[in-house]
Amino acid sequence: MSSTEHDKAGDGHHDHGDDGGGHGGHGHGSPWIQHHYDDAQHQFDSGKLGIWFFLVQEILFFAGLFVAYIVYRHHHPEIFAYASHYLDVKWGAINTGVLIVSSLSAAWAVRCAQLAQRRGLIACLVITIVCAFGFLGIKFIEYSHKIHEGILFGGRFDPCVASGGDHLLNKANRCPGVTSSVVWDVKAKKATKGCLDAETGYDWDAGAKGIQGKCQVAEVKMGGRGASRAEVGRRTIEACAAPSAGDGHAEMAGHDTPAHNTPCWSLVVNPHVCPKGPAAMVHYGDHTKRTDIEIEATCEAAPAPVAPADAFAGTVDRPGRGDANFKAPQVQSKHDAIHEWSNGPPPEHTNMFFSIYFAMTGLHGLHVLFGIFVFIWLLVRAIKGHFTPDYFGPIDYAALYWHLVDLIWIFLFPLLYLIH
Amino acid sequence: MSASLDNTKSYLEVNPGWRNWVVTLDHKRIGMMYLCGILAALMLGGFFALLVRTELFSPGAQIVHQDWYNKFFTLHGAVMVFLVIIPGIPAALGNMVLPIQLGAPDVAFPRLNLASFYLWCGGATLLLLSVALGGIDTGWTFYTPYSIETQTAVLPAVSGAFLLGFSSIFTGLNFLVTIHKFRPASMGWFQMPLNLWALYATALMQVLATPVLGITLLLLFVERFMQIGIFDPTLGGDPVLFQHFFWFYSHPAVYIMIVPAMGVVSEILTTFSRKPIFGYRFIAYSSIALALFSFLVWGHHLFVSGQSRLANMVFSALTFSVGIPAAIKVFNWTATLYKGDIRLETPMLYVLSFLILFTIGGLTGIFLAVLSIDVHLHDTYFVVAHFHYVMMGSTLVAFLGGLHYWWPKLSGRMYPETIGKVCAWGVFIGFNLTFLPQFVMGSRGMPRRYWDYDPEYTLYHRLSTIGAFILGMSMFTVVCYLAWSLKRGKKATQNPWGGSTLEWVAPTPPTVFNFPEPPPEVELYEYDDLHEVENANQDGVTNWERRPAANKPARSSHH
Repeated sequence: MSSTEHDKAGDGHHDHGDDGGGHGGHGHGSPWIQHHYDDAQHQFDSGKLGIWFFLVQEILFFAGLFVAYIVYRHHHPEIFAYASHYLDVKWGAINTGVLIVSSLSAAWAVRCAQLAQRRGLIACLVITIVCAFGFLGIKFIEYSHKIHEGILFGGRFDPCVASGGDHLLNKANRCPGVTSSVVWDVKAKKATKGCLDAETGYDWDAGAKGIQGKCQVAEVKMGGRGASRAEVGRRTIEACAAPSAGDGHAEMAGHDTPAHNTPCWSLVVNPHVCPKGPAAMVHYGDHTKRTDIEIEATCEAAPAPVAPADAFAGTVDRPGRGDANFKAPQVQSKHDAIHEWSNGPPPEHTNMFFSIYFAMTGLHGLHVLFGIFVFIWLLVRAIKGHFTPDYFGPIDYAALYWHLVDLIWIFLFPLLYLIH
Repeated sequence: MSASLDNTKSYLEVNPGWRNWVVTLDHKRIGMMYLCGILAALMLGGFFALLVRTELFSPGAQIVHQDWYNKFFTLHGAVMVFLVIIPGIPAALGNMVLPIQLGAPDVAFPRLNLASFYLWCGGATLLLLSVALGGIDTGWTFYTPYSIETQTAVLPAVSGAFLLGFSSIFTGLNFLVTIHKFRPASMGWFQMPLNLWALYATALMQVLATPVLGITLLLLFVERFMQIGIFDPTLGGDPVLFQHFFWFYSHPAVYIMIVPAMGVVSEILTTFSRKPIFGYRFIAYSSIALALFSFLVWGHHLFVSGQSRLANMVFSALTFSVGIPAAIKVFNWTATLYKGDIRLETPMLYVLSFLILFTIGGLTGIFLAVLSIDVHLHDTYFVVAHFHYVMMGSTLVAFLGGLHYWWPKLSGRMYPETIGKVCAWGVFIGFNLTFLPQFVMGSRGMPRRYWDYDPEYTLYHRLSTIGAFILGMSMFTVVCYLAWSLKRGKKATQNPWGGSTLEWVAPTPPTVFNFPEPPPEVELYEYDDLHEVENANQDGVTNWERRPAANKPARSSHH
């Protein structure tokens, strides 16, 4: 509080009632100065303090989610190490750039308003709005990919069933459209979802080291509706499941004949991820939408030393309510363990990462959306010529809000996308 | 807002008609509308309380079965907390009084103020919708995982509370900016009435704590809506995290209720003691201290929720320390009374009740902060009695005191004094009869929220139920005679109580922009130059007038 503000507050603001003639009668330069303020500066300062308190409120609003992030990451580092691989750093980085550009243009808009550069102001507001739409567009791409792959939050997290669900299994055990997994019914010895060859009835064995098995996976490219199939590659499941190099599909590329990235299979043994039994999962490393691909898998189990029903007794037993402290056994060094987690099947409660991912980015996205409405409103007012060097508060406040939205993303990007 | 309003007329006279009221930007009208809504909600919440007490009159089923009983106490709690006590003093009384005490024409953001009111209306509507949809049985705390599983109408109640939270945030934000930017040149921070210090501390908590409730309720909403899982243990979520989040807001929320009550008490106490407030700076600073402490003690709600021993000890120690600023206030108020010229008008009766009830409520809080004792008393009627002494016995009693204190100024009418005093006594006696037995039965093991009980508790429950009806009837009478006095009450004078703050310099009722001329400097809490003029208007109401300026002693530079 400067003393000058007090002085202004002291003498000016009680002469409004008999003003009679509407606004602007007592030194208000702009018609947008409300009557209960002393002058433009008083209104601007009040608004500025108000927006700062609002931003403090916003930070605390997001703080709940940041705390949830810290708590879950502390309790389940394996989930975060594993699941962040699902996020595409490329899109995240582009979005970071987009938001920074929009923040710059928002700041520049304030300067233009202060200098009464109306065209510059309009241009800056347009750039900000375009960038905000760009951000949401990219977010849409990322979200739709995840919806597609079934990697959603909480109870909706089911990477075993890609979009298409029950329709994935056809008589030939092929998966038209996009598929990422197979669900294997142990007792019935057949796939209930996905595209494992049920007729051949291979056994799965989940010993202490997980399932020993070998699958031959064929990805069949459809040339179009009704066109003949052309076989494009065969590879074994072991190549992908081995956590030795990257997430597996890099080494697969060596076997690969076609130019596009090929899927990488891995076994899913965790009943919390695939409640109906073990499954094979496929990762598309390139995150490309495939509409004309069929997948054919022929799996061959290793010799089964134990009866399948007993073998799975341990893994089918789900922990009860409240037992949220599951931790994977750590027999290796932490680094190795994290490496293996991040390459192996999803750890228990991987869904929690996506709960937090969707909560944080979703809430942030809503703020971007709100910002778009605000900036469009400002654009309309700028075109009408409402803003003057005397009155540019709304631009300033919106820009401050926008910087906070930008700043929150600057925190979200490394926390979610760049975990290592 | 139009500047063409006639600032020589009362705010009640200019632009009458409900169409002008519902779009008004005048802080006094908005405060009045809040007051109507809050008093209606108070009666609804009281109705649910009486249903609960009636059911508990004897062991076994009296009027309803368990399911309905659970809904009754949930709705009682949710309505009273979110619709009545949190907005009660800041949004209704604060809205009406704060700008006038500053000598300002309005709050900083009048449109935001109206938006806050409509958010309150929206939240209230959604809460009532949950009643219409069959009620909600989670308790007002919405604890997970039960609130995820129950089939009752959690969604509308949670979204209602979410909106009410933002109503509270915007009110707080408005007050912070108003106090910062609209103080006149002559009013430094330490020339502000203590009510403004209390409202400032409250606003800080509203802005800093309520968003955490917002995100918590939003996550709960999304949880029920589409299983986001953050609080659901079956999906790997953590229900105790909900408790942490909830109390990170709801503990400060208790202080959002009590701190403005302390501001009201400071004002009334000094006026009716005819003595400058004792320890002005201590009272001012202790309001801020309470606001800060409020953020550090939420863990005392989780002593038996599996919190670590270390955390329990730290939270226990911090909870004890809350006693310091609270006691500073009580001692300063008591010292203000000492050798004062005490006048037992209705507002003062409420304030003296407050002193007694708050002391009981505060000290029993210290019992509960002791870890070993809390394990015994947790979730018993002892806790129920404790927080009712603070939330109802202190906050609501101070609210009633403030309502009677400022009612003549804002309505322009006096309430009937004799019946006012009778009701004040009724509130005090009824309240103690309701809740003192609850301390006893709680310490003997009667759990809270139970629909049935062992016959050994029957006497306590009966006393409590009788007290609740005395309390309910007294408060209902208050609402009735205040409504009556709007038309029939005696015309109020400018300064019927002899208050020293700026609102008593404003016309009664205030003009549209509060003061037709720039307000003079007032001598805060100086009563020597105010003298009583009986039968000052045609209705025979007393007025207090300042002696001519020549006789004034030199203005003291500090208080």
